[in-house]
Amino acid sequence: MNQLLKRKSRGDVWFDVINLTLLSVVMLLVLFPLYFVLIASFSDPNHIYSGDVWLVPKGFTLDGYARIFSDSSIWIGYANSILYAGLGTLIGVAVTVFAAYPLARKNLVGKSGLMWFLMITMFFSGGLIPTYLLIKDLHMLNTIWALVIPGAGSVFNVIIVRTFFQSSIPDELWEAASIDGCSNTRFFWSIVLPLSKSIIAVMVLYHVVGFWNGFFDALIYMNDESKYPLQLVLRNILVQNQVNSGMMMDVESYAAKMRVTELIKYGVIIVSSLPLLILYPFLQKYFVKGVMIGSIKG
Amino acid sequence: MKSVFKGAGILILTGAVVISGCSGDNSGAKNSDQAIAFNKTGLPIVEDAISLKMISPKAALAPEYSQMEIFKRLEEQTNVKIEWENIPDTDFTEKKNLLLASGNLPDAFYGAGFTDYELINYGKDGTIIPLEDLIDQYAPNLKALLDRRPDIKSSITAPDGHIYGLPSWEENNLGTNPFFHVINKKWLDKLGLDMPQTLDEYTAALVAFKTQDPNGNGKADEIPLSFMHMQWCMDIAGIFGAFGLPDNLEHRVVRDGKVIFTATQPEYKEALKYFNEKWYKQGLIDPESFTQDAAQYLAKGKTTDETLGSYIWWEKEEVVGTERGQDYALLSPLKGPDGDQTIGRSNGGGPGRGAFVITKENQNPEITMRWIDQQYEPYMAAQIHWGPLDVVFEKDESGKLVNFPLPEGTSAGEFRQKVAPGTGGPGVITIEDFGKVVDMEPRAQQRAKDLETYYDPYMEKENYPSIFFEPEELDKINRIESELIKYVNTQRGKFIVDGGVDEQWDNYVKTLEKMGLNELMEIYQNGLDRYNATLNK
Repeated sequence: MNQLLKRKSRGDVWFDVINLTLLSVVMLLVLFPLYFVLIASFSDPNHIYSGDVWLVPKGFTLDGYARIFSDSSIWIGYANSILYAGLGTLIGVAVTVFAAYPLARKNLVGKSGLMWFLMITMFFSGGLIPTYLLIKDLHMLNTIWALVIPGAGSVFNVIIVRTFFQSSIPDELWEAASIDGCSNTRFFWSIVLPLSKSIIAVMVLYHVVGFWNGFFDALIYMNDESKYPLQLVLRNILVQNQVNSGMMMDVESYAAKMRVTELIKYGVIIVSSLPLLILYPFLQKYFVKGVMIGSIKG
Repeated sequence: MKSVFKGAGILILTGAVVISGCSGDNSGAKNSDQAIAFNKTGLPIVEDAISLKMISPKAALAPEYSQMEIFKRLEEQTNVKIEWENIPDTDFTEKKNLLLASGNLPDAFYGAGFTDYELINYGKDGTIIPLEDLIDQYAPNLKALLDRRPDIKSSITAPDGHIYGLPSWEENNLGTNPFFHVINKKWLDKLGLDMPQTLDEYTAALVAFKTQDPNGNGKADEIPLSFMHMQWCMDIAGIFGAFGLPDNLEHRVVRDGKVIFTATQPEYKEALKYFNEKWYKQGLIDPESFTQDAAQYLAKGKTTDETLGSYIWWEKEEVVGTERGQDYALLSPLKGPDGDQTIGRSNGGGPGRGAFVITKENQNPEITMRWIDQQYEPYMAAQIHWGPLDVVFEKDESGKLVNFPLPEGTSAGEFRQKVAPGTGGPGVITIEDFGKVVDMEPRAQQRAKDLETYYDPYMEKENYPSIFFEPEELDKINRIESELIKYVNTQRGKFIVDGGVDEQWDNYVKTLEKMGLNELMEIYQNGLDRYNATLNK
């Protein structure tokens, strides 16, 4: 290594130096907002607004977190979110993979027709109210199924996974296996799935992130506060502390509310993104590989 | 391929049969409960318990309404059980629209905040029913209120003559002037200045704040005047009154029954010239006044060294904190160059019109009307708005509801959410009821006193009431007004900061006319005339 370094010309060294400096600057630009959110969640809002908070928290306080966690609904929200994300991901990934695999096989009858049928749903949908009526008539309102069933198996994901199967599971593999007496089902479970870990990891991440961040479906279909996912709970905590001129006709302490809102704003970001920040590194190695394979080859 | 389509066809057919079969079952279900023993007067309303389905928003801290003490008591008295579906208030608008659009209707919407548009449109297509006959027959409390206060009746009657929604109002008159003008009394004393009486004295005081280092820290960090441009309760609109015509956020005032658009009047022009030349050019206005948000503004009052000389906010302690609040004092309207001394009166502020609506699905509108009428009895209205007797209030010797002290560690606003439907709930507490039926909250009492001392003597007599417009009028207003007001406000900022009022004035007025100012004012004038006509009927 040292010898290699020595062989570098002055130009190379300068190139490295400039390169590293630029990249470090870019990295700082990306990391600083995240870091700021973190320290801001521990700081006194008045200091944040007068621009005093820079590198270390000023007026250290845990009031924001105390406020967020004192709300018991946040734990319920956490539990609900984990349940919804877990079950939703299971169903979603299963449906996606089961749909994609047959579509990847050349010998499926009516493949192009089915594909057209699926594609149409990508571009046309009934819209909010018909969908709501459908969910209502299926008696799925106010149940977990309203969140995990309607969105399971998005066509976009099916296409990604199908492309993956087509490009990385060669037909010869199936021929060889079937000569050895392997059935279709056995081939899928014992050969295709183990070879597709990376794309499944990608699907898992897509679904988990989707369910974790999603709040609109729950907003529309859930009436019972004890069934709210975390995002909706956090949204309510935040909005509830927001002030508007209409409410000021009410004799309320505007300043106190403002303060609480500012305090919890940053804490809420940290609390809600923590699980994903923890999950991501474990899936990251599959992620890069899977996305590249699935997307680029058409 | 062929068999696939065939299969799909069969599936669709069976599906259609199943669905139509289902809906066939539902239609006949709702005719069984006709023979209800219904009392036209007195309590209970029905002999055998009956239930009604209502949808209502609820604040995040509030329990389900079925658990709320006040509604339990109502149920006991009336024998009417309400099946509440509570939707968090933050999501209520979306869900309400969804329910109305999908035809998934309850018996009534409670605390519903229906807009004028919704009242008229859903009233026209029959989704919600007209209530005036029901009020006449079954709502003695509400009827008495409307007879006593024709302005409330006029304000909730739709242009087509029907009443679709019931009112909600706390008529405490606290909003008449939100622009409380505050000055640093300690600095004035230190610099040997009197409380300013005229605009010029005030300007001189601001100059002294800027130049003579009243906080004594050796730095020129004093902000003579900070505000928030065109924001409710934080704008300098009140100070325009020194030139004879106070401004407000709508730029719309009423004098002798005539609607005036302030932002094209000569008084307004003079004011802008003054603010630019005397204030902005001398650096007396905090330049951030035009951009800052409330959090930044509030932080300015709490810096380590005292830096705020003068500001506008409807409760001075909220900006500078309770302790420092003693250094500051309220200013009455200042006397202008020509001796004018007025302050505006906020527009609107009438009753909310959409607090309670009954839908076409309701099989028992009479019972529903009798139930809701309980809440228009003044004592009950107060309890619906602030919380029940024995929990929030006790009765004093004269029978007035007075507040218990708040539980340790809760704010008034939070506590109120937990025990009562609150501000948007049906029920009207009129100005006569305050002090006779119920006490105002302590902070509100203080504010009312300040208004009386500092502002009421100088206040405009009339305002633009909250008027129920025709949908076509609303369309026109929405089309013209938002752009127009945006333009006026931008120009107002520009004129104060950059000056050039004289040169650009004609052009500015012409642009406004092109944007439809005259048409807009005509609609407002017509609306006001119509309102006054029904009032005098």
